[in-house]
Amino acid sequence: MNRLRVLFMAAVAIAIMFGVSGVAVSADLQQKLVEESTIEQVAKRGLLRVGMSTFVPWAMTDKSGNLIGFEIDVATRLAQDMGVKVEFVPTKWAGVIPALLTGKFDVIIGGMGILPQRNLKVNFSIPYDHSGVAIVAHKQLAGGFSRLEDFNRSDVTVVARLGSTSAAAANKVLPKAQKRFFDDESQLIQEVLNGKAHALLAGAPLPAYQALKYPDRLFLPLPGTFTKEPIGFALRKGDVDTLNFFDSWIRVVEAEGWLAERKHYWFETNAWESLLK
Amino acid sequence: MIHRKPTITLIDVWVLLALLAAAAFVAYRVRVGLNYHWNWGALPQYLLRYDPQERLWVPNVLLQGFFMTIRLSIWATACATLIGVAMGLLRVSRSRFKRMAAAGYVELTRNTPPLVLVFIFYFFIGDQLLSTVNLEAYLRGQSPAVQALLATLLAPPGRLTAFLSAVLTLSIFEGAYITEIVRAGIQSIEKGQREAAAALGFTRWQRLWHVILPQAVPRILPPLAGQFISTIKDSAIVSAISIQELTFRGMELMSSTYLTFETWITITGLYFVLTFGCALTVERLELRWRRQRA
Amino acid sequence: MVADGLKFAALVAVLSGLMIHATQGLGYHWQWYRIPAYVVSTTPAGIVFGPLLRGLGVTLQITAVSLVLAFLIGLTTALMRLSGSILGRLAARTYLELVRNTPLLVHIFFIYFVLSPVLQLSAFASAVLALSLFEGAYASEIFRAGILSIHRGQWEAAFSLGLGTWRTYRLVILPQAVRHILPPLTSQAISLIKDSALVSTIAIYDLTMQGQAIIAETYLVFEIWFTVAALYLVITLALSLTVAIMEKKLTVKR
Repeated sequence: MNRLRVLFMAAVAIAIMFGVSGVAVSADLQQKLVEESTIEQVAKRGLLRVGMSTFVPWAMTDKSGNLIGFEIDVATRLAQDMGVKVEFVPTKWAGVIPALLTGKFDVIIGGMGILPQRNLKVNFSIPYDHSGVAIVAHKQLAGGFSRLEDFNRSDVTVVARLGSTSAAAANKVLPKAQKRFFDDESQLIQEVLNGKAHALLAGAPLPAYQALKYPDRLFLPLPGTFTKEPIGFALRKGDVDTLNFFDSWIRVVEAEGWLAERKHYWFETNAWESLLK
Repeated sequence: MIHRKPTITLIDVWVLLALLAAAAFVAYRVRVGLNYHWNWGALPQYLLRYDPQERLWVPNVLLQGFFMTIRLSIWATACATLIGVAMGLLRVSRSRFKRMAAAGYVELTRNTPPLVLVFIFYFFIGDQLLSTVNLEAYLRGQSPAVQALLATLLAPPGRLTAFLSAVLTLSIFEGAYITEIVRAGIQSIEKGQREAAAALGFTRWQRLWHVILPQAVPRILPPLAGQFISTIKDSAIVSAISIQELTFRGMELMSSTYLTFETWITITGLYFVLTFGCALTVERLELRWRRQRA
Repeated sequence: MVADGLKFAALVAVLSGLMIHATQGLGYHWQWYRIPAYVVSTTPAGIVFGPLLRGLGVTLQITAVSLVLAFLIGLTTALMRLSGSILGRLAARTYLELVRNTPLLVHIFFIYFVLSPVLQLSAFASAVLALSLFEGAYASEIFRAGILSIHRGQWEAAFSLGLGTWRTYRLVILPQAVRHILPPLTSQAISLIKDSALVSTIAIYDLTMQGQAIIAETYLVFEIWFTVAALYLVITLALSLTVAIMEKKLTVKR
């Protein structure tokens, strides 16, 4: 019995050694795979997987459960031009970069602002859009506030989306204010509407939309945006071919005027609202 | 404990007064304080919608999320049972090392918040499942019929990796509880059984297979069913890693349509129906089974 | 025994090695040196608690308040269920079924986004309410089981001495039930600490939320999550140990 036990344990030990070295070997192989570009893999697969999050009107769900929006149009056209199908992976915005880095999808096309801190982890294409952070405030709680500094007090609460450029802007521009970050836009809007926060920082045109929708409770303390940031595709590092492909594609559709036309449709008209409800 | 027949007592009066006061307060506040435009009419279309192409009523986002929750719970409980049984047997083994290993797993898993575990495991496991990307490619090449079957049983090929990650994460979490259930079940078999079997010349494995387990399994099944119901509730946590189950779908819906109140009430109702329904079914089955054995 | 200990250590080493391999394949590079600043730092003014420890403080705060409330709700519900009142039993049963058949996450969202605008609750109050209602349901079962475990003879003796129901509970039953109730209640406290992580979804700056905020800025994903898990483990394992010791000391030997 003792000898059997020893043989068994030896077998287990050898299995573990092979297992660990197998992982090491496949890790080498994996490095090679990572070196191979994303567009090659997409072309082989015949499918482009795009990570995004719900941001009205960049990406939203319509009545039939399909995704519509500016980013959806961009991604669909991109996949079309690559000759592949497109698939969207709705992800919580705060976790979208870790999800990209762990291979849950190929690219983030979701209105992601180019920030140096993000750039340390992911690569960005050239900008295909520009956005800015705007602010909408509660009429009673923040009545009379007309400058950013008015909000920079410790008794003021502002809300923004976790992991967004608006959150970064809030941290930077309003260091003294209480900041609360939520995952979803609807939660942020409810916070201000319910009088639990003084103001909401978000990418334009959301604040303006909300001020129009609830004129009795919300107002715009500052007109327009107080930051300006470029929006680009985010992709994994070390992938020159894919980066070049996206950059060139953006230049092409920009020269066509297609980007401007789509931007006008989604951001400056209301034609798509009936699709939602 | 003296059991008494339910009658009208002073407590009834107090409870009734308290409930009426609470209801009045809520009604008052809803009328005065709430500035919400209710729009219940817009909600049913997100449960079921009429597809003009297929001429059928198909489930829309909320029901799709509901079915995903059911699938997640069933698969997670199945895998968790496998893990739990294996670990449970380790927990009662004679080797101290095996007992320590299993105990380490159980203590670590049961003492960490599920939300934190989910975040950690999802990003770790995700990469290990990179190999299933090839599985994905293979599955996408299959006929639509096979893909439809897969979508009903598990998830559509695109979501398969995420689904499997979520199932594995939930199984590891629930497995720790099932380990304890299995351990308690095995240890509840009285020592006399083990000694008698040993006296009859059964080896350890034979003892386990022929004597202990057949008696332990009926004691394990009721708490196991309770664990399935717990899994249904815990599945809501994987919405934090963007798995498209009911809670996540509901939150996405609210972001697009701002139907906050209606959606939350519907989601709560759906979970209640599912869990309460399962709990009642389990109770009925247990009663019937006990009558059969008695 | 030493051999077993060594085998266990070897197992832990192998598993950690596999994990590190996995993250290397991801191209993730660890930056553990950045973490201590978020836990605690020494400044000229003295020791300053970093965001993670502050978050832990909030977690403990929420847990403590919720525990007391859950205790009260649980005891009341158990007593109502054991009473002779029809409405009392019905109300208790309805509360239990409603709470036990819906996920805590949905409770938290529901109370915060639907009920709190109606009832004017703060975020902290909403979180405490959700947690105490949820844990109170399980606590009530613990109380009920503890009370039912007291021998019938105790009741009869108390009644024969002329004590009413209320005084019997107070002077005879509950003091004896304590030893049956305390260990499971402490386990419930552990559950409460773990479940309190969910209040991060309504942006209450507990330990988990602080972790998420730091990750959203710095992308130190794995380092932060492991540190957060370790901090929770310190508290919960300490409580688990307490439960084990309590069970040994309080179990009645038959």
